[in-house]
Amino acid sequence: MNTDTQLSDWREQALQLEQQINQTVIGLQPAVRHIVLAVFARGHVLLEGHVGVGKTTLLRAVAQGLGGDYQRIEGTIDLMPADLIYYTYLNSEGRPCVDPGPLLKHGDTLATFFFNEINRARPQVHALLLRAMAERSINAFNRDHALPHIQVFADRNRVEKEETFELPAAAKDRFMMEININMPGSDAVLDELMFNPRFHDTDRLVGGVTNSGIYYRLNELAQTVQQRIQTSAKLHAYALDLWKATHQPEHYGVRLNDVEMPNLLMTGASPRGMSYLIRAGKTRAWLEHRDHVLPEDLQAVFPVCMTHRLLLNPMYGYRKEQLLPELIQGILSQVAAP
Amino acid sequence: MRVPLIPVILVLSLLGCSRPIDEPVSYFNVETPRPFGYVNGDEIPRRIIIETRSGISLQPGSVPVKGQINRWLNLNQVSVKQSGRRYQIDLRYQVFYAPLEVKALTLPGFTLQLSQGEKNISQSVPAWTFTLSPLRELVVRQSEQGEYLRPDSPPSLSLLVNSHAVYGLAASLTIAALTALYLGYLYGCFPGLSRRTVFKRVLRKLAGLSKADMEQALTLVHQALNNLNGQPLFSNRLSEFYRRNPPYRQINSQLTWFFNYSNRYFFSDGMIVVQQDLQQLKDLCEQCRKIERGSR
Repeated sequence: MNTDTQLSDWREQALQLEQQINQTVIGLQPAVRHIVLAVFARGHVLLEGHVGVGKTTLLRAVAQGLGGDYQRIEGTIDLMPADLIYYTYLNSEGRPCVDPGPLLKHGDTLATFFFNEINRARPQVHALLLRAMAERSINAFNRDHALPHIQVFADRNRVEKEETFELPAAAKDRFMMEININMPGSDAVLDELMFNPRFHDTDRLVGGVTNSGIYYRLNELAQTVQQRIQTSAKLHAYALDLWKATHQPEHYGVRLNDVEMPNLLMTGASPRGMSYLIRAGKTRAWLEHRDHVLPEDLQAVFPVCMTHRLLLNPMYGYRKEQLLPELIQGILSQVAAP
Repeated sequence: MRVPLIPVILVLSLLGCSRPIDEPVSYFNVETPRPFGYVNGDEIPRRIIIETRSGISLQPGSVPVKGQINRWLNLNQVSVKQSGRRYQIDLRYQVFYAPLEVKALTLPGFTLQLSQGEKNISQSVPAWTFTLSPLRELVVRQSEQGEYLRPDSPPSLSLLVNSHAVYGLAASLTIAALTALYLGYLYGCFPGLSRRTVFKRVLRKLAGLSKADMEQALTLVHQALNNLNGQPLFSNRLSEFYRRNPPYRQINSQLTWFFNYSNRYFFSDGMIVVQQDLQQLKDLCEQCRKIERGSR
């Protein structure tokens, strides 16, 4: 089978998966599209949103649809890195035993690792996760364990800040996307969510998603997509402009209310962040039936890939929720292509 | 014994001509200006020149000090210059006296002290009398003649009456204003004006381009649309653009063609440009020009 037909077959599967998830978790189409992009670009995802809007259900549905071994852990203040690697207990004969923890239980077939309420865990746990996410391996029991298929989904709620640990910038940078999950806007969807019994039992709901079984081919697929989708010189120039604009937005004519633009940012996007952006952009071009990346692909993934990477000056920190989206929109509307 | 009379007379008369040998001040003079014609507030200089014998020096403490001397007289400036045994003392008095009629006043005298070793010698500077005239019109008013308060004289118009200067000023101001307007236009201070000629300029530039310059041509049109939109325009933001510039909705199909074509040209490989594409681009600009002029 030649690569083009293979790519289009895979595309059909990906679109089918997206459709299924959209039927399971309704009213979150943009977020679902972003998650699908991240999965097929092999990037980790951080979800942020209010309580009870369907973050966990969404991730469970994605994990179910993709197939592959699945593990989850709840972030708590007393969770330690060792809890992810092993756990000790006394067996029925009263002998102490050491068993592999959630990260190691499935060995190298671990696919989806779901970290619930990640900001409740301590920085030590974040540090362990840094390596697992960036290098897809961890060190335990005196040797390295490769996790070639690991896909981390994490979520945190936006409401409470007590007893939480803000993710360090280094940990955030390893997530390809930070996706905001908001309440569905349309009344019809809200009515459906309230009264349709189908949405009351999440286990049955998630169980209804068919397992596409493509998970373990994702690495190969992602690589093929990255190689086949072309980027032109003009697109490179556009991406470079976007990158520079995240460092010095004022040079691109971005103006925000009541902000001294040169003092706004402490740091802009990292090289890793930009490579994630291009990967996500290529994946989007592929899903849109194209063999080349357009500026609109980058624009579509720019907010989710970049917002969590921009660090504001502490002076403007308290207006973060308002300024960051405005800044991202400002950059997108001021940088021209070609 | 007969005394020769003539030599004795000669000696005596010579002795009478000579000054005593131990006179401490060899030269003393007070120079003052005219003693009349002063009014309230005038300054009166006074110079004292004194030359002493060797070994005799002036006591600086005996020179009057700057400040108020009496109710109506100030000493504004005092300077003592010494060159060898010659001292030059310059004093500058100012009078604050408003007499109702001409009045004689006196600058007080004082004594300069000279010292020779332990010995003190005095040299007095005499008082000096002058007359001060009134500024006020009281005497004249008493005679009830004429008016006392005259109207102000109008300012001199000689500068503005000079027509050359006036015309020159007007001309340079006009040139400056025109230059400022043109500069403002170049800097884009009149967006409304420049936005109405966006496509006029593009058409002029497009006329000189061939299909080999497709990249430049497309870039020109992109820039024109961005300029018109106020920010970069992408195909997915066309609807917003139409909302702000409703007349352009009529050429939606052409604009969509342009964005698709530009996307293919700039972002994908293997695009072959034909002459017709450039013509189509020019047609698009013609349409835009018509809309811009309001004839469509």
